[in-house]
Amino acid sequence: MSRPYLASGPLVWLATIGITTLLLVASAKALWLVVPFLLAIILYYLLYPAVRRLELAGFRRETAAALVAGGFTALAVALLVPTVPWLIAQSVAGEAVLAGYLEGGRVLIDRTLRALESQFGFLQRMDFHAEMGRKATEFGNTFMQKELAASLLGAATQLPVLLLAPFLAFFILRDGRSFMQRLVSVVPNAFLERTIYMFDRVHTTARNYFQGLLKLAVADTLFLATGLWLIGLSGALILAVVAALFAWIPVVGSVLACSTIALVAATEFPNDLWYVYASVAVFLLNRLLDAFVIMPMTVGRSIRMHPLPTVLMLFIGGAVAGVAGLVLALPLAGVVSAIVGTIGGIIDDPRLRARHAFAKALQAQRINADLRL
Amino acid sequence: MLKLRFFRRQSEIQRIGQIQRLGLFATLGPKELRVVSSLLQERQYLKGEIVFDEGEEGQALYVVLSGRVLICRQGGAEAVRIAEVSAGAMFGELALLDNAPRSAQVRAVEDCVLGVLSRADFNGLVETHGVIASKIALQLARELGQKLREHFLAMDARPL
Repeated sequence: MSRPYLASGPLVWLATIGITTLLLVASAKALWLVVPFLLAIILYYLLYPAVRRLELAGFRRETAAALVAGGFTALAVALLVPTVPWLIAQSVAGEAVLAGYLEGGRVLIDRTLRALESQFGFLQRMDFHAEMGRKATEFGNTFMQKELAASLLGAATQLPVLLLAPFLAFFILRDGRSFMQRLVSVVPNAFLERTIYMFDRVHTTARNYFQGLLKLAVADTLFLATGLWLIGLSGALILAVVAALFAWIPVVGSVLACSTIALVAATEFPNDLWYVYASVAVFLLNRLLDAFVIMPMTVGRSIRMHPLPTVLMLFIGGAVAGVAGLVLALPLAGVVSAIVGTIGGIIDDPRLRARHAFAKALQAQRINADLRL
Repeated sequence: MLKLRFFRRQSEIQRIGQIQRLGLFATLGPKELRVVSSLLQERQYLKGEIVFDEGEEGQALYVVLSGRVLICRQGGAEAVRIAEVSAGAMFGELALLDNAPRSAQVRAVEDCVLGVLSRADFNGLVETHGVIASKIALQLARELGQKLREHFLAMDARPL
Protein backbone atom coordinates (compact mmCIF):
# COMPACT_ATOMS: atom_id res chain seq x y z
CA MET A 1 0.00 0.00 0.00
CA SER A 2 1.49 3.37 -0.92
CA ARG A 3 1.87 6.26 1.48
CA PRO A 4 0.16 9.66 1.15
CA TYR A 5 1.44 11.70 -1.80
CA LEU A 6 1.96 14.83 0.27
CA ALA A 7 4.02 14.78 3.44
CA SER A 8 2.87 17.16 6.16
CA GLY A 9 3.98 18.25 9.61
CA PRO A 10 6.25 20.81 11.24
CA LEU A 11 9.29 19.91 9.11
CA VAL A 12 7.36 20.48 5.87
CA TRP A 13 6.01 23.78 7.26
CA LEU A 14 9.50 24.91 8.26
CA ALA A 15 11.00 23.95 4.90
CA THR A 16 8.13 25.71 3.07
CA ILE A 17 8.51 28.91 5.12
CA GLY A 18 12.33 28.84 4.79
CA ILE A 19 12.40 28.27 1.02
CA THR A 20 9.60 30.79 0.36
CA THR A 21 11.45 33.41 2.44
CA LEU A 22 14.66 32.83 0.46
CA LEU A 23 12.74 33.18 -2.81
CA LEU A 24 11.09 36.37 -1.56
CA VAL A 25 14.48 37.85 -0.60
CA ALA A 26 15.78 36.95 -4.08
CA SER A 27 12.69 38.45 -5.72
CA ALA A 28 13.18 41.70 -3.79
CA LYS A 29 16.69 41.91 -5.29
CA ALA A 30 15.40 41.30 -8.83
CA LEU A 31 12.16 43.25 -8.72
CA TRP A 32 12.74 44.58 -12.25
CA LEU A 33 12.30 41.00 -13.49
CA VAL A 34 9.75 39.77 -10.97
CA VAL A 35 7.09 42.39 -11.81
CA PRO A 36 6.98 41.71 -15.59
CA PHE A 37 7.22 37.98 -14.92
CA LEU A 38 4.25 38.16 -12.54
CA LEU A 39 2.26 40.13 -15.12
CA ALA A 40 3.32 37.62 -17.80
CA ILE A 41 1.95 34.74 -15.69
CA ILE A 42 -1.35 36.60 -15.21
CA LEU A 43 -1.47 37.24 -18.99
CA TYR A 44 -0.67 33.56 -19.63
CA TYR A 45 -3.65 32.38 -17.60
CA LEU A 46 -5.83 35.01 -19.31
CA LEU A 47 -4.79 34.03 -22.85
CA TYR A 48 -4.26 30.28 -22.42
CA PRO A 49 -7.89 29.22 -23.21
CA ALA A 50 -7.75 31.13 -26.53
CA VAL A 51 -4.52 29.33 -27.53
CA ARG A 52 -6.10 25.94 -26.84
CA ARG A 53 -9.18 26.86 -28.90
CA LEU A 54 -6.95 27.79 -31.85
CA GLU A 55 -5.02 24.53 -31.43
CA LEU A 56 -8.26 22.59 -31.72
CA ALA A 57 -9.14 24.62 -34.81
CA GLY A 58 -6.02 23.12 -36.41
CA PHE A 59 -3.31 25.71 -35.67
CA ARG A 60 0.08 24.56 -34.39
CA ARG A 61 0.96 25.60 -30.84
CA GLU A 62 3.59 28.12 -32.03
CA THR A 63 1.18 29.77 -34.48
CA ALA A 64 -1.67 29.82 -31.95
CA ALA A 65 0.57 31.43 -29.28
CA ALA A 66 1.86 34.03 -31.76
CA LEU A 67 -1.66 34.88 -32.96
CA VAL A 68 -3.11 35.21 -29.46
CA ALA A 69 -0.17 37.14 -27.95
CA GLY A 70 0.07 39.34 -31.07
CA GLY A 71 -3.68 39.95 -31.04
CA PHE A 72 -3.60 40.91 -27.39
CA THR A 73 -0.69 43.32 -27.91
CA ALA A 74 -2.45 44.91 -30.91
CA LEU A 75 -5.65 45.28 -28.86
CA ALA A 76 -3.74 46.79 -25.93
CA VAL A 77 -2.00 49.27 -28.25
CA ALA A 78 -5.32 50.14 -29.94
CA LEU A 79 -6.87 50.85 -26.55
CA LEU A 80 -3.87 52.72 -25.12
CA VAL A 81 -3.01 54.98 -28.06
CA PRO A 82 -6.22 57.06 -27.88
CA THR A 83 -5.64 57.60 -24.15
CA VAL A 84 -2.09 58.97 -24.62
CA PRO A 85 -3.16 62.66 -25.05
CA TRP A 86 -5.33 62.35 -21.93
CA LEU A 87 -2.48 60.70 -19.99
CA ILE A 88 -0.06 63.48 -21.02
CA ALA A 89 -2.58 66.14 -19.94
CA GLN A 90 -3.04 64.32 -16.63
CA SER A 91 0.70 64.02 -16.01
CA VAL A 92 1.16 67.74 -16.71
CA ALA A 93 -1.62 68.62 -14.30
CA GLY A 94 -0.72 65.64 -12.06
CA GLU A 95 0.98 67.63 -9.31
CA ALA A 96 -1.88 70.11 -9.03
CA VAL A 97 -4.46 67.28 -9.02
CA LEU A 98 -2.56 65.37 -6.34
CA ALA A 99 -2.13 68.50 -4.27
CA GLY A 100 -5.89 69.05 -4.57
CA TYR A 101 -6.61 65.53 -3.30
CA LEU A 102 -4.12 65.87 -0.46
CA GLU A 103 -5.71 69.18 0.51
CA GLY A 104 -9.10 67.42 0.45
CA GLY A 105 -7.63 64.77 2.74
CA ARG A 106 -6.24 67.41 5.08
CA VAL A 107 -9.64 69.11 5.29
CA LEU A 108 -11.27 65.72 5.97
CA ILE A 109 -8.84 64.93 8.81
CA ASP A 110 -9.26 68.47 10.16
CA ARG A 111 -13.04 68.20 10.23
CA THR A 112 -13.01 64.71 11.72
CA LEU A 113 -10.61 65.80 14.47
CA ARG A 114 -12.75 68.83 15.26
CA ALA A 115 -15.80 66.60 15.49
CA LEU A 116 -13.88 64.26 17.83
CA GLU A 117 -12.69 67.17 19.96
CA SER A 118 -16.21 68.44 20.38
CA GLN A 119 -17.26 64.97 21.60
CA PHE A 120 -14.34 64.22 23.96
CA GLY A 121 -13.11 66.80 26.45
CA PHE A 122 -9.68 65.24 27.02
CA LEU A 123 -8.86 65.62 23.31
CA GLN A 124 -9.75 69.32 23.53
CA ARG A 125 -7.44 69.75 26.52
CA MET A 126 -4.62 68.06 24.59
CA ASP A 127 -5.22 70.46 21.66
CA PHE A 128 -5.36 67.27 19.65
CA HIS A 129 -6.76 68.84 16.49
CA ALA A 130 -4.02 71.51 16.23
CA GLU A 131 -1.24 69.03 16.96
CA MET A 132 -2.46 66.41 14.48
CA GLY A 133 -3.17 69.08 11.87
CA ARG A 134 0.43 70.30 12.12
CA LYS A 135 1.75 66.77 11.71
CA ALA A 136 -0.57 66.12 8.75
CA THR A 137 0.63 69.31 7.03
CA GLU A 138 4.26 68.36 7.70
CA PHE A 139 3.66 64.87 6.31
CA GLY A 140 1.87 66.28 3.27
CA ASN A 141 4.71 68.66 2.47
CA THR A 142 7.46 66.04 2.90
CA PHE A 143 5.42 63.45 1.00
CA MET A 144 4.74 65.77 -1.92
CA GLN A 145 8.24 67.19 -2.13
CA LYS A 146 10.38 64.12 -1.58
CA GLU A 147 8.74 60.71 -1.40
CA LEU A 148 5.96 61.12 -3.98
CA ALA A 149 8.28 62.59 -6.59
CA ALA A 150 10.85 59.86 -5.97
CA SER A 151 8.18 57.09 -6.07
CA LEU A 152 6.65 58.41 -9.30
CA LEU A 153 10.09 58.70 -10.90
CA GLY A 154 10.90 55.14 -9.77
CA ALA A 155 7.60 53.86 -11.21
CA ALA A 156 8.25 55.70 -14.48
CA THR A 157 11.66 54.02 -14.88
CA GLN A 158 9.96 50.63 -14.39
CA LEU A 159 7.44 51.26 -17.19
CA PRO A 160 9.64 50.11 -20.14
CA VAL A 161 10.37 46.88 -18.24
CA LEU A 162 6.62 46.19 -18.16
CA LEU A 163 6.74 45.85 -21.96
CA LEU A 164 8.57 42.57 -21.26
CA ALA A 165 5.31 41.09 -19.89
CA PRO A 166 3.56 40.27 -23.23
CA PHE A 167 6.90 39.09 -24.65
CA LEU A 168 7.41 36.70 -21.70
CA ALA A 169 3.75 35.63 -21.84
CA PHE A 170 4.19 34.67 -25.52
CA PHE A 171 7.14 32.40 -24.70
CA ILE A 172 5.33 30.81 -21.74
CA LEU A 173 2.31 30.18 -24.00
CA ARG A 174 4.46 28.75 -26.78
CA ASP A 175 7.05 26.72 -24.88
CA GLY A 176 5.57 26.30 -21.38
CA ARG A 177 4.10 22.85 -21.99
CA SER A 178 7.14 21.41 -23.79
CA PHE A 179 9.40 22.86 -21.05
CA MET A 180 7.30 21.08 -18.41
CA GLN A 181 7.39 17.85 -20.45
CA ARG A 182 11.18 18.13 -20.69
CA LEU A 183 11.39 18.63 -16.93
CA VAL A 184 9.22 15.56 -16.31
CA SER A 185 11.25 13.52 -18.82
CA VAL A 186 14.38 13.72 -16.63
CA VAL A 187 12.54 12.40 -13.57
CA PRO A 188 13.25 8.70 -12.82
CA ASN A 189 10.39 6.33 -13.68
CA ALA A 190 9.78 5.39 -10.04
CA PHE A 191 8.87 8.99 -9.17
CA LEU A 192 6.95 9.74 -12.39
CA GLU A 193 3.39 9.69 -11.04
CA ARG A 194 4.39 11.69 -7.94
CA THR A 195 6.03 14.29 -10.18
CA ILE A 196 2.95 14.46 -12.42
CA TYR A 197 0.87 15.01 -9.30
CA MET A 198 3.28 17.71 -8.05
CA PHE A 199 3.25 19.63 -11.35
CA ASP A 200 -0.53 19.40 -11.41
CA ARG A 201 -0.70 20.82 -7.87
CA VAL A 202 1.72 23.63 -8.75
CA HIS A 203 -0.15 24.45 -11.96
CA THR A 204 -3.56 24.31 -10.27
CA THR A 205 -2.38 26.47 -7.36
CA ALA A 206 -0.91 29.15 -9.64
CA ARG A 207 -3.81 29.05 -12.12
CA ASN A 208 -6.52 29.23 -9.43
CA TYR A 209 -4.68 32.02 -7.64
CA PHE A 210 -4.08 34.25 -10.65
CA GLN A 211 -7.38 33.56 -12.38
CA GLY A 212 -9.00 34.11 -8.97
CA LEU A 213 -7.28 37.50 -8.74
CA LEU A 214 -8.62 38.47 -12.17
CA LYS A 215 -12.17 37.40 -11.27
CA LEU A 216 -11.86 39.23 -7.95
CA ALA A 217 -10.73 42.40 -9.74
CA VAL A 218 -13.69 42.25 -12.16
CA ALA A 219 -16.22 41.62 -9.34
CA ASP A 220 -14.71 44.40 -7.17
CA THR A 221 -14.68 46.84 -10.09
CA LEU A 222 -18.34 46.20 -10.93
CA PHE A 223 -19.51 46.46 -7.32
CA LEU A 224 -17.46 49.54 -6.41
CA ALA A 225 -18.14 51.36 -9.69
CA THR A 226 -21.90 50.88 -9.23
CA GLY A 227 -21.81 51.89 -5.57
CA LEU A 228 -19.63 54.99 -6.06
CA TRP A 229 -21.62 56.04 -9.15
CA LEU A 230 -24.85 55.82 -7.16
CA ILE A 231 -23.30 58.04 -4.47
CA GLY A 232 -22.41 60.53 -7.19
CA LEU A 233 -18.60 60.41 -7.31
CA SER A 234 -17.20 61.42 -10.70
CA GLY A 235 -14.75 58.94 -12.28
CA ALA A 236 -16.35 56.10 -10.29
CA LEU A 237 -15.15 53.49 -12.80
CA ILE A 238 -11.48 54.59 -12.73
CA LEU A 239 -11.60 54.78 -8.93
CA ALA A 240 -13.14 51.29 -8.79
CA VAL A 241 -10.43 49.86 -11.10
CA VAL A 242 -7.67 51.42 -8.95
CA ALA A 243 -9.27 50.09 -5.73
CA ALA A 244 -9.76 46.62 -7.29
CA LEU A 245 -6.08 46.48 -8.31
CA PHE A 246 -5.03 47.61 -4.83
CA ALA A 247 -7.03 44.64 -3.47
CA TRP A 248 -4.36 42.36 -5.00
CA ILE A 249 -2.01 43.52 -2.24
CA PRO A 250 -3.00 41.77 0.98
CA VAL A 251 -3.57 43.98 4.08
CA VAL A 252 -1.89 47.18 2.80
CA GLY A 253 -3.99 47.20 -0.39
CA SER A 254 -7.26 47.65 1.50
CA VAL A 255 -5.88 50.60 3.48
CA LEU A 256 -4.55 52.26 0.31
CA ALA A 257 -7.81 51.70 -1.61
CA CYS A 258 -9.98 52.98 1.26
CA SER A 259 -7.76 56.06 1.73
CA THR A 260 -7.89 56.82 -2.02
CA ILE A 261 -11.68 56.59 -2.12
CA ALA A 262 -12.03 58.72 1.03
CA LEU A 263 -9.61 61.35 -0.40
CA VAL A 264 -11.52 61.60 -3.68
CA ALA A 265 -14.90 61.83 -1.91
CA ALA A 266 -13.56 64.46 0.52
CA THR A 267 -12.13 66.53 -2.32
CA GLU A 268 -15.26 66.36 -4.44
CA PHE A 269 -17.64 67.08 -1.57
CA PRO A 270 -15.61 69.17 0.90
CA ASN A 271 -18.68 70.48 2.71
CA ASP A 272 -20.48 67.21 3.29
CA LEU A 273 -18.79 64.42 5.23
CA TRP A 274 -21.69 62.05 4.56
CA TYR A 275 -20.40 61.46 1.03
CA VAL A 276 -17.09 60.31 2.51
CA TYR A 277 -18.85 58.04 5.01
CA ALA A 278 -21.09 56.59 2.28
CA SER A 279 -18.08 55.94 -0.03
CA VAL A 280 -16.14 54.26 2.78
CA ALA A 281 -19.25 52.21 3.65
CA VAL A 282 -19.52 51.01 0.02
CA PHE A 283 -15.84 50.05 0.14
CA LEU A 284 -16.21 48.19 3.45
CA LEU A 285 -19.30 46.39 2.14
CA ASN A 286 -17.25 45.35 -0.88
CA ARG A 287 -14.45 44.05 1.35
CA LEU A 288 -16.97 42.05 3.41
CA LEU A 289 -18.45 40.61 0.21
CA ASP A 290 -14.89 39.76 -0.91
CA ALA A 291 -13.94 38.13 2.38
CA PHE A 292 -17.05 36.01 2.81
CA VAL A 293 -18.32 35.31 -0.71
CA ILE A 294 -15.96 36.10 -3.61
CA MET A 295 -12.54 35.25 -2.10
CA PRO A 296 -13.57 31.78 -0.82
CA MET A 297 -14.97 31.03 -4.31
CA THR A 298 -11.90 32.25 -6.20
CA VAL A 299 -8.47 32.92 -4.62
CA GLY A 300 -9.25 31.09 -1.36
CA ARG A 301 -9.54 27.77 -3.19
CA SER A 302 -6.04 27.91 -4.55
CA ILE A 303 -3.81 28.03 -1.46
CA ARG A 304 -4.36 24.81 0.42
CA MET A 305 -2.26 25.73 3.43
CA HIS A 306 -2.90 25.89 7.16
CA PRO A 307 -3.94 29.46 8.22
CA LEU A 308 -0.97 29.80 10.64
CA PRO A 309 1.87 29.48 8.07
CA THR A 310 -0.27 31.49 5.63
CA VAL A 311 -0.47 34.50 7.97
CA LEU A 312 3.18 34.06 8.91
CA MET A 313 4.15 34.11 5.23
CA LEU A 314 2.26 37.39 4.72
CA PHE A 315 4.21 39.04 7.53
CA ILE A 316 7.53 37.66 6.30
CA GLY A 317 6.72 38.65 2.70
CA GLY A 318 5.95 42.23 3.74
CA ALA A 319 9.08 42.43 5.91
CA VAL A 320 11.60 41.07 3.38
CA ALA A 321 10.19 42.30 0.07
CA GLY A 322 7.66 45.06 0.80
CA VAL A 323 4.58 45.32 -1.41
CA ALA A 324 5.97 42.79 -3.93
CA GLY A 325 6.50 40.38 -1.04
CA LEU A 326 2.90 40.80 0.10
CA VAL A 327 1.61 40.06 -3.40
CA LEU A 328 3.97 37.12 -3.99
CA ALA A 329 3.97 35.52 -0.53
CA LEU A 330 0.78 33.48 -0.85
CA PRO A 331 1.08 32.06 -4.39
CA LEU A 332 4.78 31.36 -3.83
CA ALA A 333 4.08 29.64 -0.50
CA GLY A 334 1.33 27.55 -2.16
CA VAL A 335 3.67 26.43 -4.94
CA VAL A 336 6.61 25.76 -2.59
CA SER A 337 4.33 23.84 -0.21
CA ALA A 338 3.21 21.53 -3.07
CA ILE A 339 6.84 20.89 -4.11
CA VAL A 340 8.17 20.40 -0.57
CA GLY A 341 5.19 18.18 0.35
CA THR A 342 5.72 15.92 -2.69
CA ILE A 343 9.49 15.64 -2.18
CA GLY A 344 8.82 14.91 1.51
CA GLY A 345 6.34 12.21 0.45
CA ILE A 346 8.98 10.57 -1.79
CA ILE A 347 11.66 10.69 0.93
CA ASP A 348 9.15 9.18 3.35
CA ASP A 349 8.24 6.26 1.04
CA PRO A 350 10.80 3.41 1.25
CA ARG A 351 9.02 1.40 -1.48
CA LEU A 352 9.48 4.19 -4.02
CA ARG A 353 13.13 4.59 -3.14
CA ALA A 354 13.60 0.82 -3.40
CA ARG A 355 11.97 0.81 -6.85
CA HIS A 356 14.28 3.59 -7.98
CA ALA A 357 17.32 1.72 -6.63
CA PHE A 358 16.13 -1.44 -8.42
CA ALA A 359 15.73 0.43 -11.72
CA LYS A 360 19.22 1.90 -11.33
CA ALA A 361 20.60 -1.56 -10.62
CA LEU A 362 18.91 -2.89 -13.77
CA GLN A 363 20.46 -0.08 -15.77
CA ALA A 364 23.91 -0.68 -14.25
CA GLN A 365 23.60 -4.40 -15.00
CA ARG A 366 22.76 -3.58 -18.63
CA ILE A 367 25.67 -1.15 -18.96
CA ASN A 368 28.18 -3.50 -17.27
CA ALA A 369 26.94 -6.72 -18.92
CA ASP A 370 29.89 -7.09 -21.30
CA LEU A 371 32.58 -5.74 -18.96
CA ARG A 372 33.13 -9.03 -17.10
CA LEU A 373 35.20 -11.78 -18.65
CA MET B 1 17.24 21.79 -38.88
CA LEU B 2 14.75 20.96 -41.65
CA LYS B 3 15.86 17.32 -41.49
CA LEU B 4 15.28 17.27 -37.72
CA ARG B 5 11.82 18.77 -38.16
CA PHE B 6 11.05 16.14 -40.85
CA PHE B 7 12.01 13.25 -38.55
CA ARG B 8 10.09 14.78 -35.65
CA ARG B 9 7.03 15.05 -37.89
CA GLN B 10 7.47 11.43 -39.04
CA SER B 11 7.61 10.15 -35.45
CA GLU B 12 4.55 12.25 -34.60
CA ILE B 13 2.62 10.74 -37.53
CA GLN B 14 3.71 7.26 -36.44
CA ARG B 15 2.57 7.90 -32.88
CA ILE B 16 -0.76 9.34 -34.02
CA GLY B 17 -1.27 6.17 -36.11
CA GLN B 18 -0.55 4.07 -33.03
CA ILE B 19 -2.94 5.87 -30.70
CA GLN B 20 -5.64 5.97 -33.39
CA ARG B 21 -5.80 2.17 -33.22
CA LEU B 22 -6.54 2.28 -29.47
CA GLY B 23 -10.21 1.78 -28.57
CA LEU B 24 -10.18 4.80 -26.25
CA PHE B 25 -9.21 7.20 -29.04
CA ALA B 26 -10.92 5.40 -31.94
CA THR B 27 -13.63 8.04 -32.42
CA LEU B 28 -11.23 11.03 -32.55
CA GLY B 29 -10.56 12.93 -35.78
CA PRO B 30 -7.02 13.72 -37.09
CA LYS B 31 -6.84 17.19 -35.44
CA GLU B 32 -8.14 15.80 -32.17
CA LEU B 33 -5.61 12.96 -32.29
CA ARG B 34 -2.82 15.51 -32.74
CA VAL B 35 -3.98 17.31 -29.57
CA VAL B 36 -3.99 14.01 -27.62
CA SER B 37 -0.64 12.99 -29.10
CA SER B 38 0.94 16.26 -27.93
CA LEU B 39 -0.13 15.39 -24.38
CA LEU B 40 1.36 11.87 -24.42
CA GLN B 41 4.77 11.69 -22.77
CA GLU B 42 7.10 8.91 -23.88
CA ARG B 43 8.89 6.91 -21.16
CA GLN B 44 11.36 4.07 -21.53
CA TYR B 45 11.28 1.09 -19.15
CA LEU B 46 13.86 -1.67 -18.84
CA LYS B 47 12.95 -5.35 -18.71
CA GLY B 48 11.84 -6.15 -15.14
CA GLU B 49 11.24 -2.52 -14.12
CA ILE B 50 8.02 -1.76 -12.25
CA VAL B 51 5.71 0.74 -13.93
CA PHE B 52 3.42 1.11 -10.91
CA ASP B 53 2.56 -0.82 -7.80
CA GLU B 54 -0.72 -2.30 -6.63
CA GLY B 55 -2.35 0.05 -4.11
CA GLU B 56 -0.55 3.15 -5.44
CA GLU B 57 -2.66 6.22 -6.27
CA GLY B 58 -3.20 6.30 -10.04
CA GLN B 59 -2.27 9.51 -11.85
CA ALA B 60 -2.00 8.42 -15.47
CA LEU B 61 -3.07 6.10 -18.27
CA TYR B 62 -0.35 4.20 -20.14
CA VAL B 63 -0.21 3.24 -23.81
CA VAL B 64 2.30 0.54 -24.85
CA LEU B 65 4.10 2.03 -27.85
CA SER B 66 6.60 -0.83 -28.06
CA GLY B 67 7.45 -3.90 -25.98
CA ARG B 68 5.27 -5.83 -23.51
CA VAL B 69 4.17 -5.39 -19.89
CA LEU B 70 2.76 -7.84 -17.35
CA ILE B 71 -0.21 -7.01 -15.15
CA CYS B 72 -0.17 -9.03 -11.94
CA ARG B 73 -1.57 -9.00 -8.44
CA GLN B 74 0.06 -9.98 -5.16
CA GLY B 75 -1.94 -13.04 -4.04
CA GLY B 76 -0.07 -14.46 -1.06
CA ALA B 77 3.59 -15.40 -1.53
CA GLU B 78 3.55 -15.38 -5.33
CA ALA B 79 2.32 -12.86 -7.87
CA VAL B 80 -0.85 -13.82 -9.78
CA ARG B 81 -0.62 -13.10 -13.51
CA ILE B 82 -3.66 -11.24 -14.81
CA ALA B 83 -2.72 -10.28 -18.35
CA GLU B 84 0.11 -9.40 -20.67
CA VAL B 85 -0.26 -6.20 -22.68
CA SER B 86 1.63 -5.67 -25.97
CA ALA B 87 2.29 -2.72 -28.26
CA GLY B 88 -0.86 -0.87 -29.31
CA ALA B 89 -2.77 -1.63 -26.11
CA MET B 90 -3.21 0.41 -22.93
CA PHE B 91 -3.60 -0.05 -19.20
CA GLY B 92 -4.34 2.02 -16.06
CA GLU B 93 -7.24 3.80 -17.75
CA LEU B 94 -9.24 4.02 -14.51
CA ALA B 95 -6.71 6.61 -13.31
CA LEU B 96 -8.32 9.06 -15.74
CA LEU B 97 -11.46 8.99 -13.60
CA ASP B 98 -10.13 9.28 -10.04
CA ASN B 99 -7.07 8.73 -7.87
CA ALA B 100 -8.29 5.41 -6.47
CA PRO B 101 -5.54 2.88 -5.67
CA ARG B 102 -4.22 0.81 -8.58
CA SER B 103 -5.83 -2.65 -8.56
CA ALA B 104 -2.69 -4.45 -9.80
CA GLN B 105 1.03 -4.11 -10.32
CA VAL B 106 2.47 -3.54 -13.80
CA ARG B 107 6.00 -4.60 -14.75
CA ALA B 108 7.90 -4.47 -18.04
CA VAL B 109 8.33 -8.00 -19.48
CA GLU B 110 10.82 -6.69 -22.02
CA ASP B 111 12.34 -3.26 -22.74
CA CYS B 112 9.42 -1.06 -23.67
CA VAL B 113 8.36 2.46 -24.55
CA LEU B 114 5.15 3.68 -22.92
CA GLY B 115 3.05 6.76 -23.70
CA VAL B 116 1.74 8.41 -20.54
CA LEU B 117 -1.44 10.51 -20.45
CA SER B 118 -1.90 12.10 -17.03
CA ARG B 119 -5.25 12.71 -15.37
CA ALA B 120 -4.25 16.36 -15.01
CA ASP B 121 -3.89 16.65 -18.80
CA PHE B 122 -7.18 14.79 -19.31
CA ASN B 123 -8.89 17.21 -16.89
CA GLY B 124 -7.32 20.03 -18.90
CA LEU B 125 -8.95 18.54 -22.01
CA VAL B 126 -12.31 18.49 -20.22
CA GLU B 127 -11.97 22.23 -19.59
CA THR B 128 -10.63 23.36 -22.95
CA HIS B 129 -11.44 20.62 -25.47
CA GLY B 130 -14.78 19.39 -24.20
CA VAL B 131 -15.57 17.48 -27.41
CA ILE B 132 -12.34 15.44 -27.29
CA ALA B 133 -12.73 14.75 -23.58
CA SER B 134 -16.35 13.63 -23.96
CA LYS B 135 -15.43 11.30 -26.86
CA ILE B 136 -12.67 9.73 -24.74
CA ALA B 137 -14.96 9.50 -21.69
CA LEU B 138 -17.70 7.82 -23.76
CA GLN B 139 -15.24 5.26 -25.12
CA LEU B 140 -13.91 4.69 -21.60
CA ALA B 141 -17.45 4.07 -20.34
CA ARG B 142 -18.03 1.60 -23.21
CA GLU B 143 -14.82 -0.30 -22.43
CA LEU B 144 -15.62 -0.43 -18.71
CA GLY B 145 -19.15 -1.65 -19.51
CA GLN B 146 -17.68 -4.37 -21.71
CA LYS B 147 -15.28 -5.46 -18.95
CA LEU B 148 -18.15 -5.48 -16.44
CA ARG B 149 -20.28 -7.66 -18.74
CA GLU B 150 -17.36 -10.08 -19.25
CA HIS B 151 -16.85 -10.21 -15.48
CA PHE B 152 -20.53 -11.03 -14.88
CA LEU B 153 -20.45 -13.69 -17.60
CA ALA B 154 -17.40 -15.26 -15.97
CA MET B 155 -19.19 -15.24 -12.61
CA ASP B 156 -22.27 -16.87 -14.18
CA ALA B 157 -20.10 -19.62 -15.68
CA ARG B 158 -18.61 -20.44 -12.27
CA PRO B 159 -20.10 -23.61 -10.66
CA LEU B 160 -22.30 -22.90 -7.61
